[in-house]
Amino acid sequence: MSDHLTGTTFQTRSVEQLAKPFQRQAIPNAVDPTVAGLHRLFAGSDRDRLRDLGRDIRGHAVANLPKLVAQLVDQLETNGVTVHFAGDAAEARAIVVSICSRAGARRVVKAKSMLTEEIELNPALEAAGLEVVETDLGEYVVQLDGDRPSHIIGPIIHRTAAEVRELFSRVAGTELAEDAGELARFARGQLRAAFLAADVGISGANFAVAETGSIALVTNEGNGRLTTALPRVHIAMVGVERVVPRLDDLAVLVPLLTGSGTAQRITTYLTLASGPRREGEVDGPEEMHVVLVDGGRSAIVGSDYQEVLSCIRCGACQNICPVYRQVGGHAYGWVYGGPIGAVLTPLFRPEAEAQELGQASSLCGACDDICPVRIPLHDLLRTLRRDRSAGATVSRGERLAFRIWSYAWASPTVFRLSALLAPLAARVPIGPARRFTALRDVVFSRGRR
Amino acid sequence: MEREAFLARLAGARPGPDLPSLDDLPQAPTELRPGEDRYERFRHEVEAASGACERVSAGHEGLAVAAFLAGAGATRVALASDLGVHREPVHAALVALGITPVSYDDLVAERAELGALHATVTGASVLVAATGSLVTSALAGRAAALIAPIHVCVASEDRLASGLAEALHALPDASLVAFQSGPSRTADIEKKLILGMHGPGSTLVVVVRSLASDAPTPA
Ligand code: SF4
Repeated sequence: MSDHLTGTTFQTRSVEQLAKPFQRQAIPNAVDPTVAGLHRLFAGSDRDRLRDLGRDIRGHAVANLPKLVAQLVDQLETNGVTVHFAGDAAEARAIVVSICSRAGARRVVKAKSMLTEEIELNPALEAAGLEVVETDLGEYVVQLDGDRPSHIIGPIIHRTAAEVRELFSRVAGTELAEDAGELARFARGQLRAAFLAADVGISGANFAVAETGSIALVTNEGNGRLTTALPRVHIAMVGVERVVPRLDDLAVLVPLLTGSGTAQRITTYLTLASGPRREGEVDGPEEMHVVLVDGGRSAIVGSDYQEVLSCIRCGACQNICPVYRQVGGHAYGWVYGGPIGAVLTPLFRPEAEAQELGQASSLCGACDDICPVRIPLHDLLRTLRRDRSAGATVSRGERLAFRIWSYAWASPTVFRLSALLAPLAARVPIGPARRFTALRDVVFSRGRR
Repeated sequence: MEREAFLARLAGARPGPDLPSLDDLPQAPTELRPGEDRYERFRHEVEAASGACERVSAGHEGLAVAAFLAGAGATRVALASDLGVHREPVHAALVALGITPVSYDDLVAERAELGALHATVTGASVLVAATGSLVTSALAGRAAALIAPIHVCVASEDRLASGLAEALHALPDASLVAFQSGPSRTADIEKKLILGMHGPGSTLVVVVRSLASDAPTPA
């Protein structure tokens, strides 16, 4: 996936994304009800105090990883889980492939996991001769089409029902109706067959509870739970920072996650998987494996960016971000978009092209106000700008242009954005403003339609 | 990597906050408000999540389950082993309506038959008032509550916990514990809400009055 970064810039990718008129409407249509719903849900609740608790629980966990991860591992092993340690993406892929091959597996079902996107797991499994099926409806579409998710919670926020109909009709070999219900039913049939035939189920983890050795999965479709129920082997892929100390912490973190992510009090399915099938239980996997993945996380521990590891991947900062709302997730070039992506990508990806992403922000601070665990995204983005890009090589004039450019992202329409930048681009032929003359050609006329 | 080397790389963190006490949890959407009736809030939340909920007197649960399943046209019905005292009344009422239920435990190895089920009936270890959730576990079968298009849960009213915090203290000891709240859903395609994505599209919770509170008016 580094290919999407190599040889491109945030600006060139944005130009490409801004040319997709559906996406620019689809993002607000999809995320605005979530943001409004979040505020309705917490009306009468003490959301700010709950966020304080969330920040402290996550901040405590991240500051005490060696102790808590050791406790988690001990508890998992007591529960009969085999724990593996992956330093980087390549090692994580190799571990999963070897678990599958030792189990004699041929078919794999997957529940949604951003970590497996990070480590590019699917191509490695396919190269090893395994058949892999993504079971989250959105991820299934992404997989069939060789696309990438563009939002943490809503992977196909950028796709139309018409596109999904076309894709599924191709798979079905017959014309399906352009009706979300019928399309979902078609997918259910395909995916149920995959579940019943699968040897291995791979899930991520929303939280890993050290005290009990439990992997918590949050889904609405129920695919997370089926993944842990039907195949004879369950593998949970766990970013090492997912650990939380106590089971009770879920009473704080679950409502913060589901409230921010989908404006739900609780998710439809909250599953706590704590080991393989036990004696006396009627179903469940014979083996459970947890793969703990570092993948760049330990380098963030102790750095100026440590707080970003508190992230619970709710997607709220994407929903609210004026830049993300214009350009969508793919413009960020890697797995995560929005403010969280602008911080994580330069930290996780070594490519020179990744280092400029601190600029992909208007520094309006909306992300700080919404983040359920109070990550100071705004400060982290400023620190990144200082450390990584603008830095020593950029002139004062160019920095001013960046600031105006950043400000312009906050304007509600691309029409206004380009109108504002037109005179600027003419007079200040530098940096981002210059690139916006190209941008204007793409969007100016479309903005008026 | 080896465990010790892996853990060693995580050392050297900047100090973080102390782990906060959760003794007085602030008002959260997952907790009951002072003075709220547990069952009324539970019913409200189940219905808000597009599920159905009914409260009956002890002994009447079979009728409620059978009427719902017959009304939905279900004929292939499996009963999970965690129904406890509710199993007999449910079994008898289904048979009276011409539906012969099978045991989920007997079926679980037969993948094809699992896939052909119309409905499953399970118990619940805990009901959560503030979230409208029910808790099932591997004791009933991990897939029991979501393998069929219809799921019915029968549980006594005294299983009602006030909110998520209380429920987390009442979880059964099993390899998998799961909260579920209403039918399976997705909104991935243009944000349109579709029920029954992977799990059931139709759910009913039958709450059986505990004997103590049962005296005045049988439903
Ligand atoms: S940074 Fe905060 S708002 Fe953004 S995804 Fe993470 S937890 Fe959610």
